[in-house]
Amino acid sequence: MKQFSLLLGKELREQARSFKLFWVPLVFIFFGALEPLTYHFLPQILESVGNLPEGAEFMLPEMTGADVYASLTGQYQTIGLLVLVLAFMGSLSGERKSGTGTLLYVRPISYSTYYLSKWTAAVLLAFASLWLGYGMAATYIVQLYETVPGFTDVALFLLVMAAWLIFVVTLTLTASAALPTGGAAGAALGILFIGMMIDSLVGTYWTWSPWKLQGYGLMYLTGSPESGDLAGALGVTALITVLLILFGIRQARKNAAKAKV
Amino acid sequence: MNTVLEVSGLTKQYDGIRAVDDLTFSLGEHTATALIGPNGSGKTTTLSMLAGLLRQTSGTIRFSGEGKDPRSAIGFLPQYPKFFPWMTAIEYMELAAGLSGLEGRSVRSACEKTLGFVGLGDAGKKRIGGFSGGMKQRLGLAQAIVHRPSLLLLDEPVSALDPAGRREVMEMLKELGGSTTILYSTHILNDAEEMTDQLLFLRSGKLIEQGPLREVREKYGGSGYRVLFNNPEAAERFAASAPWAARADGSAVTISGEAVSMEELLRYAGGHPAGITNIGRVSVRLEDIFMKVVERP
Repeated sequence: MKQFSLLLGKELREQARSFKLFWVPLVFIFFGALEPLTYHFLPQILESVGNLPEGAEFMLPEMTGADVYASLTGQYQTIGLLVLVLAFMGSLSGERKSGTGTLLYVRPISYSTYYLSKWTAAVLLAFASLWLGYGMAATYIVQLYETVPGFTDVALFLLVMAAWLIFVVTLTLTASAALPTGGAAGAALGILFIGMMIDSLVGTYWTWSPWKLQGYGLMYLTGSPESGDLAGALGVTALITVLLILFGIRQARKNAAKAKV
Repeated sequence: MNTVLEVSGLTKQYDGIRAVDDLTFSLGEHTATALIGPNGSGKTTTLSMLAGLLRQTSGTIRFSGEGKDPRSAIGFLPQYPKFFPWMTAIEYMELAAGLSGLEGRSVRSACEKTLGFVGLGDAGKKRIGGFSGGMKQRLGLAQAIVHRPSLLLLDEPVSALDPAGRREVMEMLKELGGSTTILYSTHILNDAEEMTDQLLFLRSGKLIEQGPLREVREKYGGSGYRVLFNNPEAAERFAASAPWAARADGSAVTISGEAVSMEELLRYAGGHPAGITNIGRVSVRLEDIFMKVVERP
């Protein structure tokens, strides 16, 4: 426990001093603000920038709060994930490559403590980014849109999204435990985006998959998801996450020998 | 003498190449052992295995402190220690000490004291990113000794330092030697000569010679005498007429220490003083032994 708190302290301090603590949430906050504003002011924006021919008229669909959340979630599914993977892809591999890990590995640390301290710090930053981002969006949505989802529904949606982000962060850290930084980024992004593609193409044939979580979560904003499907997807995600953590710890121990001496 | 570490049959194989091949040796308590060998002879690989970074292919490593994680009893300084540049020296020391099991209020003072010992007393609050190579080497030593390990493993502890820094660090190591067992690799043989109870010579992963410095020295030529002359001709004449085996090399003559005592030599030289400028005892230098051992077929 002592070692865990020491290592977690080190990770959090590193996040602060490398400014990850600021720029990762800032990206989420930026899109959280931009999305509701853009949709709300879209007619005015088109009018002022577009050299539209006289009399041209657009029929813009009436956006609801739920639509904006959905659109923002789409942004986070690409740029948000990219930012999280980039922020943590070198978490373990970087310490091996630079040799800073060497002086940790020669001390009596357990590799589960080592991995989990990084995992905890990464999950905390992902949660902070998620909640600050959607919090920013909610602030504008409540003021600018007429139909808005209730607080409880948004909270439930965010809980499901949190489970998805834990999966994303775990995948990234385990990739970093197993592979060099470049490979880790490639593997994590590849698995995330190829999984998304597969799920959107042929995903009608199954209901339990981590890639379906955001879709199920969004259903809370317009109604409610099929509870069996959601529970199944959450269960499968939890199981994969635990397996990834165990595999990541093993890889961290195994690859300690590759640390630069 | 108590044994701190016993190594037997230690072997590390990489893709069919034996980087370390069947090492067997032991380290006595509070002794200093120099691991000597040319580049690529397996010194770093050996130290990495002892430090628990690498797993040996075969062989055993036994520490006296049975039961607990041996890493808590070891201090390790890599050749180029790498630190988190965003940390300050004192933060790093506290992390290192804490991870090695130091607890409580004494940690801070132990860290400050250790930084003071290695000459970084004023740099504790500075970021390591701005440290010079020499300062990093000192910090490396500090992190290796802060938890008072019973075995200190040092990979080329002074190679990266300037002569003054080297001097200082050697003094520190000598001071530590009183209370710790030290195993260090080096190719700076003058340093090894200064602080060594035991020598381990490595070549291509094999231990080709080992033993106390004095024994190894005797084995490879022992001591002898050197007589200097003011011109090479005088030296040659002296060597040719001397009653024992004497070898002239330029204007110097070397005589084996086994052939003759100092007294006899002086008496003889008194009778044949032509051209002599200096008579002295020479002991074979570690550097010469190194060349002999390493180049031996």
